[in-house]
Amino acid sequence: MAFNSPLMAQLALGLVLAVGAMSPASAQSSLGQSGLVGTPEGITIVTDQAQWPKTFNEAPQLADLVKQGKLPAVKDRLPQDLMVIKPVKEIGKYGGTWRRGFTGPGDDENGNRINASDRPMLVDHTGAKVNPSLAKSWKMSDDGKVFTLNLRRGLRWSDGAPMTADDFVFWFEEIYSNKEILPVGIPDMTPAGKPGKIVKVDDYTVNFVFEVPFYLFEDLMGGDTLIGGGQAVRQSNKRSHGAYAPAHYLKKFLPKFMPGGADAANAAARAEGFDSWIARLHFKKDWTLNPELPVLGPFRTVQPINNAVWVMERNPFYWAVDTAGNQLPYLDRVQMTVVENLEVLNLRAMAGDYDLQERHIDLGKLPVLLENQARGKYKVHLDLALNGTDAIYHFNQSFDADAEIAKWLRNADFRRALSLAIDRKQLNETFWLGVAVPGSTAPGEALPYFPGPGWREKWSTFDQKTANEMLDKIGLSRKDAQGFRVRTDNGQRLRIQIQAVQAFLPWPKISEMVADQWAKVGIQADVRDTERNLAFTRTQNNEHHIMVWNNGGTELLYLFPRHAIPVDPTEAFMGPEHAKWYASGGTQGKKPEDPNILKMLELFTSAAGQKTDERIKTAQEIWKILIDQQYAIGTVGQSPALMGVRLVSERLGNIPSRNCIAQHCRTPGGAHPETWFYKN
Amino acid sequence: MLTYTLQRFGLALITIWAISVISFVIIQLPPGDFVDAYIASLSASGSMVRQEEAQALRQLYGLDQPIWVQYWKWASRVAQGDFGTSMEWGRPVTEVLGDRLWLTVAVSLAAIFLTWGIALPIGIYSAVRQYSMADYAFTLIGFVGLAVPNFLLALIIMYFGFVLFDLNVGGLFSAEYQLAPWSWGKAKDLMAHLPLPALILALAGTAQLIRIMRANLLDELRRPYVATARARGLAEWRVIVKYPVRAALNPFASTIGYLLPFVVSGSIVVSLVLSLPTVGPLLLRALVAQDMFLAGTIVLLLGVLTVIGTFISDLILMWIDPRIRAGIHG
Repeated sequence: MAFNSPLMAQLALGLVLAVGAMSPASAQSSLGQSGLVGTPEGITIVTDQAQWPKTFNEAPQLADLVKQGKLPAVKDRLPQDLMVIKPVKEIGKYGGTWRRGFTGPGDDENGNRINASDRPMLVDHTGAKVNPSLAKSWKMSDDGKVFTLNLRRGLRWSDGAPMTADDFVFWFEEIYSNKEILPVGIPDMTPAGKPGKIVKVDDYTVNFVFEVPFYLFEDLMGGDTLIGGGQAVRQSNKRSHGAYAPAHYLKKFLPKFMPGGADAANAAARAEGFDSWIARLHFKKDWTLNPELPVLGPFRTVQPINNAVWVMERNPFYWAVDTAGNQLPYLDRVQMTVVENLEVLNLRAMAGDYDLQERHIDLGKLPVLLENQARGKYKVHLDLALNGTDAIYHFNQSFDADAEIAKWLRNADFRRALSLAIDRKQLNETFWLGVAVPGSTAPGEALPYFPGPGWREKWSTFDQKTANEMLDKIGLSRKDAQGFRVRTDNGQRLRIQIQAVQAFLPWPKISEMVADQWAKVGIQADVRDTERNLAFTRTQNNEHHIMVWNNGGTELLYLFPRHAIPVDPTEAFMGPEHAKWYASGGTQGKKPEDPNILKMLELFTSAAGQKTDERIKTAQEIWKILIDQQYAIGTVGQSPALMGVRLVSERLGNIPSRNCIAQHCRTPGGAHPETWFYKN
Repeated sequence: MLTYTLQRFGLALITIWAISVISFVIIQLPPGDFVDAYIASLSASGSMVRQEEAQALRQLYGLDQPIWVQYWKWASRVAQGDFGTSMEWGRPVTEVLGDRLWLTVAVSLAAIFLTWGIALPIGIYSAVRQYSMADYAFTLIGFVGLAVPNFLLALIIMYFGFVLFDLNVGGLFSAEYQLAPWSWGKAKDLMAHLPLPALILALAGTAQLIRIMRANLLDELRRPYVATARARGLAEWRVIVKYPVRAALNPFASTIGYLLPFVVSGSIVVSLVLSLPTVGPLLLRALVAQDMFLAGTIVLLLGVLTVIGTFISDLILMWIDPRIRAGIHG
């Protein structure tokens, strides 16, 4: 027999993983036994100044530059208000290139996330607590109208220029308020439709001032939001948000600061090959494209993203040190190689071509990934998500093209019955290798918004008999010759369409299985495997019946609500017309008739002005309505399917055994890559 | 002869113009535009683009204008040799293409020569030794080669290359040479990576060419002139190579029209599977992202090359086949 024992062990493990999916609890415990799922751990920020290091070290390359007089001494590059980090395990050493794969210029998030510490505040490894980052502290006034950021004194951009409150004011006045760059304000700065503003108190104190109480702003600033997201993600790839920008560098590209105004700015832009000054500004403020741009994250681009290899090097002015006084990051550079397709990326990862890769790794390949651990010299970690479901079935509540279909999409018992008809265990074993947790759309217990015991299971267990009874009772008892239920208006078979996109998960295939399960209770569902652009266009035109996606991000309901409730017209799967109505303040779209939807929207609106405890209760209320009404059916979630299968080189140190994977954790940036290092 | 060439040239120009219009229209056919694709890809990373911002972006790219205005702006720039800036890559189209063009040419030429190197001798052998064991064997392999899709073969070879021989998978360079300037080491690295993709690309074409070569040569071998040549005592080798093989080569020459665009784009699906940094995957990506300038330029380039290639193959046919030459003069 050619099978060697490690392989057998992996097969056995696969069985354990599959069998373990009997119930949520046993799935988690068998995962625990597999050794693939670690315990969440993260860095510690030392705030007691007595424990701060008094002398500092730097990378040998930077020491050489200091000797040549090209760079100030390390102690002069660091801020007075230091960020002192105690790494996960040990003090590291300098050197090494982190090899990684990316898919091209559209994959800027691959690098943005590594620079996630360039935001005022950053969530810790639990995903629930916010740590200081650029700001050493912050405060919301008692009346909820003034939010104050206290920046680190002596903070510097990667070119050595000071970073101060002026950079916040510059962003607010010259970028955010410039209608040519950003035609409209963002909800993050406009509570109850009333625009807020950014005011400088002194060089290191910034106030965000609002007309109405906006307690939620503290969460927004700490989350992966338009306002709190930081420079790397919010100002790359033609985006223009992020609360601050390097005034000293970007001013010279704005017409206002040019002698000849807009004409001169456009002429200068054309001379450099851009169509307009706006196009040039989009390029100049994009850290992935412009190596000159001053940044605040641990790495800066040296070879832009629009090449076969995207290369970043350490920021010589990075403002954090370890407890021994070594300036971070330890790693010299990050080198990402473009791949043309994800199969090759996964194969290269198995060959050990990447040192740490969690992005684009396919959960379905877990057995092969494990099989090749030794030869690829890496270790596999499974990190579990916090959101409720990786495949969520949104019922379009504003659908109106077919009155009969619309009637059933809006019928709560119809939705509940279809949810009961789903065999989540079968889905879990087939598509998640049994490692995920079946249940409703509600977030996991780790987060404060968890609505309470029982709500992960409500209407979300497998019960064909009840489902059939409910469907009979609501008036769908008549069936055709093949056993499918028929429409009440013309007696023909009732056909519901599921619009599925092949994106993060094989949603079309998953939906085929769901359709098979629904067929067993007499409901015909047609899966429409739709190209992504087309799907989004159809959704915006209110043409879909049911849309499948994931609900990642909804675990922090207020920061990323669009896949839970219809408030954001961008991806309003649950009812595009209702979302338009809500977002436009009632001037466009269609007002929901369902009192429960109105109740939810009302709760959501009121939450912005509520203090933390009350706001959490409001979110739980919204979740309870969502789950009881089953506007969206949850299937299987809290899995490693999105960025949770992590391959780590045996040579890397200070790697947490479990990462937080969530949008707001900025996987892997929330784990502070600046503290990772090569042991040999 | 001159008027004939001029006529052909004029027709070629009109064809190229038609190609540019059609390619532009085809690229615009799918729903949405670059900004929609951009929004869709951003939403995947949790970012939000509001309708008003999307509109500002459309203005920035001129996507809010009618399609014929967009075409005119694009075409008049192309006529001046300015292919515009790729929306997705944020770099001039010529630069984005330039990076990949030479590598694509290298891979494709290697594949073509390999195809001919394998197919011609085998085709000749199969025809000359018809119904021999070797002929049956090659026929079997040939049919398997025809029937198995290229990309599947690529996946299988890649997986076994990795598992059994520890071959570097995908791409044309090792990590250490990705960034290095051109040097002997880098050239050697490229040579080490080239055979696998070239072989995979070659295999499918090979099977087809073997069949064509065999069939054509069989036709020729039965001709009276072959019998006459043999009767006159010419060496068997000379009989076969000098006349029937030359005549049987016609289809090879007439496919050159399609070879040129292939040389530039490579096989899209196989390049994608093998993650080759060639033009094929770039085209696919540009089409998905609706990056009009990049996709338009590549499609136009392919069209132009097809036209030129057809013209060249006409010339080559005249050169290798005296009968065609005679046809034109007479």
